[in-house]
Amino acid sequence: MSDVGPVLVLKGAAFRHPGGAGVTELRLSVRPGEAVAVIGPNGAGKSTLLRGILGLVPLVDGELRVAGASHAPDGMVGFLPQSAELDPDFPISLEQVVMQGRYRRLGLLRWPGRHDRQVVRAALETVGLADRARRRFGELSGGQRQRGLLARALASEPALLLLDEPFNGLDQANRDALLDTIRTLKSRGVAILVSTHDLELAREVCDTVLLINESQVGCGPVDDVLTLENVQECFEGVGVEIDEHTVVVPDHEGH
Amino acid sequence: MSPGDALFAAFALPFMGRALLVLLVLSVVAAVVGVLVNLRGLEFVSDGLTHAVFPGLAIGLAVGGTAGLVPGAAIAALAGAVLLTLFVRAGVTSDAAVAVVLTATFSVGVIVVSRSDDYAGELEALLFGRVLTIAPGDVVPLVVVALAAAALVAATMKQQVFRAFDPQGSRAAGDRGLVLDLVLNGAIALVVVAGASTVGTLLVLALLIVPGAAARLASERLWRLFPVAVAVGAVSAWLGLALGFAASVGAGVDLPAGATVVAVFVAVYALMLVGRLVRDRAARAAAAGER
Repeated sequence: MSDVGPVLVLKGAAFRHPGGAGVTELRLSVRPGEAVAVIGPNGAGKSTLLRGILGLVPLVDGELRVAGASHAPDGMVGFLPQSAELDPDFPISLEQVVMQGRYRRLGLLRWPGRHDRQVVRAALETVGLADRARRRFGELSGGQRQRGLLARALASEPALLLLDEPFNGLDQANRDALLDTIRTLKSRGVAILVSTHDLELAREVCDTVLLINESQVGCGPVDDVLTLENVQECFEGVGVEIDEHTVVVPDHEGH
Repeated sequence: MSPGDALFAAFALPFMGRALLVLLVLSVVAAVVGVLVNLRGLEFVSDGLTHAVFPGLAIGLAVGGTAGLVPGAAIAALAGAVLLTLFVRAGVTSDAAVAVVLTATFSVGVIVVSRSDDYAGELEALLFGRVLTIAPGDVVPLVVVALAAAALVAATMKQQVFRAFDPQGSRAAGDRGLVLDLVLNGAIALVVVAGASTVGTLLVLALLIVPGAAARLASERLWRLFPVAVAVGAVSAWLGLALGFAASVGAGVDLPAGATVVAVFVAVYALMLVGRLVRDRAARAAAAGER
């Protein structure tokens, strides 16, 4: 199937919001089953990169290819946003939210069929929420909602999954559940890009690290890239989380 | 007159039959569109469109007589829908955008109407409709306009609900927000057009807003909202016409038909609100009893 080539290729790519912030000089190639941690301080352009791959932020330079095409084919890319501002009173059940992941494949007029319901069921089982399927989405806890939105991203059966700061505000149980899900998806050949400022997470589930701070600082295997020098360059004077402690990286002069 | 006469036999009269047919189609379509209006919180935009239609009606009447009403309203409503969508998109808050469109168009409408000889009579008909005097030839255009609105929302239903729930997620999944907004505002505009020449530009708002709001009181299940809203709309339209007929013909109290229909819509909403409050109180009592 898609193991013939990389799922995602960036060659000198730059994404920029119209008249706003951007991220430049990105060089990256992601294979099926590979997990890449996108690491950088706040404002480094992590979300801009993920939204650029989705086509929500314009590519202003270089090349972007998803599964060999310059535009991501329908349903190929799944996305878990950083924090969705969703109305807790909205009358919609968890399984209906997850079904939204199928809409891109269904198009305008077709309604979900048996196969779509099976995919939704499987996605809910993957994130461990099958028993909550018919609950109203707004009644779920914050961590469960986040896992529900991940299930929605999975329901599109993506070859590439983009996770924007998925661990923010999660308790240990939900964090572990999410890590398990990422491992399961990797074993199924899904390529994953996960933006985070949590260096431990990168060591736990990711093969590759992409360090960015408005442009690419480094990219490669976790142990090669997460060097003190690189992290210093990237996080100069900014707090970094290591082992749940926040360390302030001094700048080059050692202040 | 017996209740049976008012509820059933009255509609054998041609003008009552036409009123019922048009109002049923209109209120069913308005209920479906209205659920989306409720989920998106577009009530005030709908209000703006009802006013935007007014100059269209007035100009249509001035140019083409009563045959010009529907085309005039349709052009004005669709122009209003596009303008409002673009205003909101350009960063003007929807409240400010609506207020600008609403007052500007209404003043144009009043100026046009005031040029005619029968100023008061025409103004009243445009504002409050003429549901009992729908001409046989007007039935088909009104039904077609209403069905066009239904087709717009039916074709985009899943995506509209997705956008209502999670606009960012819908965009990330590849949906075009501008297109969906134009389609929904266009559907609202068409409902307003069909409603303007039956219950009037002011009262049509009730047909759009009340059934959706009532359905939210009755259910928290997404796909149950639509049949509930449709039932509320259809039953209220029918009861409203029957009540107006009974009062006018049976009791000699001359009730304006459009306003009576709207009053019944609001009464049904009030009943459902009371039902909801009673249910919530019972649920709280049960929860307290378990402790």
